[in-house]
Amino acid sequence: MFGAHREEYSGKLRWPRLAQDVAIVAWPSFLVASVATMVCFAFIDPLLVGNDDYPPPAFATRMGGYALGFFFFWLVASLSSLLSLYLVRTARPEPPENDETAEHGVRSTE
Amino acid sequence: MSVPETDIDGGLYAVRQKIYPREIDGRFQRLRTIAAWVLLGIFYVIPWIPWGGRQAVLFDLPARKFHIFALTLWPQDFYFLTWLLVIAALALFFFTALAGRLFCGYACPQTVWTETFLWMERLVEGNRSQQMKLARAPWGTEKVLRKGGKQLLWIAFALWTGFTFVGYFTPIRELAGLVANFATGPWETFWVLFYGGATYVNAGFMREQVCKYMCPYARFQSAMFDNDTLIITYDERRGEPRGPRKKGIDPASKGLGACVDCTLCVQVCPTGIDIRQGLQYECIACAACIDACDEVMDKVGYPRGLIRYDTQHGLEGTPRRVLRPRTIVYATLLTLLVAGLAWSITHRNAVGVDILRDRNALFRERPDDTIENVYNVKILNKDGDAHEFRITGSGLPGLVVDYAGPTVWVGPGAVQGVPVRVRIPEDSLEGGADIDLTIVATDRPELTASGKARFIAPTD
Repeated sequence: MFGAHREEYSGKLRWPRLAQDVAIVAWPSFLVASVATMVCFAFIDPLLVGNDDYPPPAFATRMGGYALGFFFFWLVASLSSLLSLYLVRTARPEPPENDETAEHGVRSTE
Repeated sequence: MSVPETDIDGGLYAVRQKIYPREIDGRFQRLRTIAAWVLLGIFYVIPWIPWGGRQAVLFDLPARKFHIFALTLWPQDFYFLTWLLVIAALALFFFTALAGRLFCGYACPQTVWTETFLWMERLVEGNRSQQMKLARAPWGTEKVLRKGGKQLLWIAFALWTGFTFVGYFTPIRELAGLVANFATGPWETFWVLFYGGATYVNAGFMREQVCKYMCPYARFQSAMFDNDTLIITYDERRGEPRGPRKKGIDPASKGLGACVDCTLCVQVCPTGIDIRQGLQYECIACAACIDACDEVMDKVGYPRGLIRYDTQHGLEGTPRRVLRPRTIVYATLLTLLVAGLAWSITHRNAVGVDILRDRNALFRERPDDTIENVYNVKILNKDGDAHEFRITGSGLPGLVVDYAGPTVWVGPGAVQGVPVRVRIPEDSLEGGADIDLTIVATDRPELTASGKARFIAPTD
């Protein structure tokens, strides 16, 4: 995708489906994970999570706790994005708008 | 689609150089370059600004304190950050309603860093035709040097970007020392590489694909548009029917509009759309098509602005309205929120107190017939100056507060824990009761805070 030289400027190209899927799953979940990490650790000090008889080693330092929290949120949000994408991609295509299918109870999304 | 040699109408209006997307000059492209310089300058310089012995802007995650110039934010002040995010979102709505995707074209980090990477690419590999020639050439010394040089420049710049990013969270001067000695901790190393790598891939390779496939704002911004929103648009009424024509001919006599169909606007578009088909969500409002079209209009002697910033109403020849319910509501909300934030930051309680009971003993019966409880009083000084604090207590008759010194010194933006002994006469309480402990700054009595604590006495 990146390696071969193309005559066309790279921003103009259509991405292959797989690249689109990876981007659609990874990017929004990254944004959501960033916000979730901020909100979560504004209220929870990772050191308190580690303040236990058997603290998870990653929570021994605050930076480790923040990083672990961020990747946890990213993973969870990615799974959600992945399922949503799967449902959208595997759904029967929406019929075109403004045709007779409307009277068969197919609601327009607009 | 491949980019053809750019001749307008069979060489009559030949443009000298081949056009490469973005390699177009014009007033809006110069404006974008200035915006990129300013924004990147701000980003790379801010962590180096000192402020009273510390970094002016430092989000000190390990210490859970945010320093923003004179302001120090604590976890308790988190709602300021939420408030700020709401303001940022509303500002985006406001400017989108007013001026369309100005943010995308001039201020979005994705756009700005892509511009910078393109600039570095041109610096090493030359313009488009030189780049294409280089790509076709067999691998030799020059190709290795140029391709390697570009990668080196990109990687160095991306790493510097990652380093700067981490410098917002770790004191950047210390970090620079650690980097110079290859002694950064695992998390600093990781985040420098993570952010640097994201910059490299996003700006070096994905570029406008990010806008087309990944950006949510690109998809929902149309919800904030109305007929008075400034957009980049092709004046269809003036341009159509498009077509080539001989120089000096009156287009009306041929039944033609102003568009000479040179397709330059399509060629320079970094997202590959044809602006003449109307507003499309792929358009990142970079205005390259405006600059390209203006240049052509100048050449053929037509007035500029066939493609221009305008509103739907402007295109239809009806009056443009800047003031309309949508913008008035956004502007009012924005003003209120900003004023409210400013007020509450300047009027927030700059001190706080946290009281923890000493865990070792519930109480102590002293030989002088008093009961003593011990607390650890934590004084938070969020103010920019140091203060001396006095601690007083109330809530029980005959209550005496005892701690080291008449006052406690707490530095700016610091927490000081003070062991405090509270004594009451033996016969004044059985069981337990709540007491209040209050801290007051001796130089500014309005800096005060109190907290409740449980006092425990024997029940016999």
